[in-house]
Amino acid sequence: MTEETRERTASELTGEDLVLSYADEPVIDGETVTAEPGAVTALVGPNGSGKSTLLKGLADQLSPDEGTVLVDGEAVSEMGSKALAKRLGLLSQESTSPDGITVEQLVYHGRYPHRGFFETITETDREHVDRAIELAGCGHLRDRELGSLSGGQRQLAWIAMVLAQDTDVLLLDEPTTFLDLHHQLEVMEIIETLRSESEVTIVVVLHDIQQAARIADRIVALKDGEIRASGEPQAVITEELLANVFEVDARVERTERGPRIEPLRPRHDEADPPQADRPGGVELPTD
Amino acid sequence: MSNESSTGGQTVSSGPRSRFGWLFDPALLSVAGASVVVVFVGGMVQISHGSYSMSYVEAWYAMFNREVLFDPAAWQSFLFGTEMPEVSTESLVIWNIRLPRVIVAVFVGMNLAVSGAIFQAVTRNELASPFILGVSSGAGLAILLTLVVLSGVSLGLPLLVPALSLSAGGVLTAALTVAAVVGIPASWLYAVRSATRSAVVGAAGLTAAAVLGFGLLAVVGTGPLAFASISVVVSVSALLPLLAAVGGITAFLIVYAIAWKNGTSPVRLVLAGVIVSTIFTSLQTSLFFFADNVGVVQSAVAWTNGSLTGADWEQVRIVLPWSILAMGLAMAGARQLNVLLLGEQTARSLGVSVERVRFGLASVAVLAAAASIAVAGIVSFVGLIVPHLVRSLVGTDYKKLIVGCLFVGPALMVVADVGARLGMGLLTGSGVQVPVGIVTGLIGGPYFLYLMRRQENIGEI
Repeated sequence: MTEETRERTASELTGEDLVLSYADEPVIDGETVTAEPGAVTALVGPNGSGKSTLLKGLADQLSPDEGTVLVDGEAVSEMGSKALAKRLGLLSQESTSPDGITVEQLVYHGRYPHRGFFETITETDREHVDRAIELAGCGHLRDRELGSLSGGQRQLAWIAMVLAQDTDVLLLDEPTTFLDLHHQLEVMEIIETLRSESEVTIVVVLHDIQQAARIADRIVALKDGEIRASGEPQAVITEELLANVFEVDARVERTERGPRIEPLRPRHDEADPPQADRPGGVELPTD
Repeated sequence: MSNESSTGGQTVSSGPRSRFGWLFDPALLSVAGASVVVVFVGGMVQISHGSYSMSYVEAWYAMFNREVLFDPAAWQSFLFGTEMPEVSTESLVIWNIRLPRVIVAVFVGMNLAVSGAIFQAVTRNELASPFILGVSSGAGLAILLTLVVLSGVSLGLPLLVPALSLSAGGVLTAALTVAAVVGIPASWLYAVRSATRSAVVGAAGLTAAAVLGFGLLAVVGTGPLAFASISVVVSVSALLPLLAAVGGITAFLIVYAIAWKNGTSPVRLVLAGVIVSTIFTSLQTSLFFFADNVGVVQSAVAWTNGSLTGADWEQVRIVLPWSILAMGLAMAGARQLNVLLLGEQTARSLGVSVERVRFGLASVAVLAAAASIAVAGIVSFVGLIVPHLVRSLVGTDYKKLIVGCLFVGPALMVVADVGARLGMGLLTGSGVQVPVGIVTGLIGGPYFLYLMRRQENIGEI
């Protein structure tokens, strides 16, 4: 139990002056972003805004051309791959599920960075797996094979795997996209539980700005690879931001549970800043 | 829901509970048991038939002759090539002539099956076989070159460690393979460490490292003056097994070099494999036109289709160490293979160095394939079909899959070799032996078709 609940103060994740590019085309061109310890930071923005790229950069999946990513001041590029995987977990969008393995077997893979080459499963591993499965609420799926699960159930299993990794920082790439309403709320609930009950720093890419407003302590809004706004949801989510970043007319209501957004119509006007790359284009709400 | 999950800690139903607990899976145990029976029965049939005729009972007694079974001198002769002690003719026929062929078949089947299983995970391609990354075409070209172009050439070779009482070929195989096994990963680490270093340079370095081993040999060989006192003359054909293996490994490295561009991807690897295979196969086929006589062509066909004719303890000695090494590494890498199957990004986020692991495991698979090529030529289909068969029986967990392949591969190979050696005799009464690769194709093809028709998700890895 001592190792299980090892003393942990939440870690700070910082990306400093990051330049991230695909095929020599910079997507993110020198941005700095900080995820505060123990808080939930949501990255939002329209399609192609670079939010997923930024997350990949923070996860060290995409090495930055310039700039550094730091966990508590330590550069991730200097850490060994397993050492990093013990501190920083990523729920990727591009996972492939081998159909033939059970949920439990998948979750045990989350313990990979904690096990040496010839080490077997320890009591600690078992405790973390049980805790992760409970947290992700997929105990009833434990012995089911991945191939027999619905998309939403599978997502819960993947979340359990990342939780079993037991990291200080958790990066989630659009965890709610493509899920039905029930499972979207399940995922939101998991994030809320993590925020209130454990010292994990969470960065989550969300497509739904309303969801972001609900669970995030801080919101970072991106457009065309630039951070346009960041701060508390109350301060960031304004009708003006929705018009500029998302190109929609919307009404924003201040409520006790944070801002409530009512989208009205897409904007077609030419009054938009000239750097809007698709003037008049209607953004579909999928990636 | 929460009730169930809170009791989850007590369930002992699945999941890896202890180091070897997963081995006691009923499906895996029955697969292994059935395979052992098949190997045993196939082996008994194989050793009971031949030009020196004996009954099954006689063969049984000769096989389990205490004089051989518990004689250290006999085992020394088998494993290290020393003088064979006096035994009965039956035991001599069985132990010296017929049994080694069965043993070689066992190892070849093992190597090919495990190699195929690894390649199916590494390339994430259900059609992958040990030969998907150009290994067979490289080996085939080397075989044809050796038989057609170099058949008359003799090399003076330095016998570096005569005291080891191994044959010249054995020593050289060992030296070269050690160089490849140690040198390639070392240079790879060097190339991968620095992200900015041009990948082509790194991969070219690898190819060079592999070719260097052989190049050095040639240089030393052509300069017999310096080593005249301790060199023996070996005809190039005697080095055929070695050259075939080196050809296969070289082709694999070329494929990797072509596929590398800031890292590889399964698709790039497979495409590069197809390209290199096409070119090498064309060159190989064109060489047939330069063959002097039918004997050379038959020999080439036997090698490029895989044959165990004439397999001897010498072949056992060649294949044994590499099989043990490759199988051990494959078992150790099973967990990495499992994580690799979760997708590249997830594997990386779990702390797997994807490129390094991919190359390392592919090298293990190529080593296994090369070992089997060196003793049996290019046996097709075993490496493709056995992993599928095992997967349909024990599931997708690579730890079980590899162990299953260790048993089912030999079973298929031994049975196929019985067909290759005795089948024509049964059908036509002639004593002609066909290459075993033809039989594996004949058994494997229809079985694969059956598997495909029966299961909808045949391709799922």
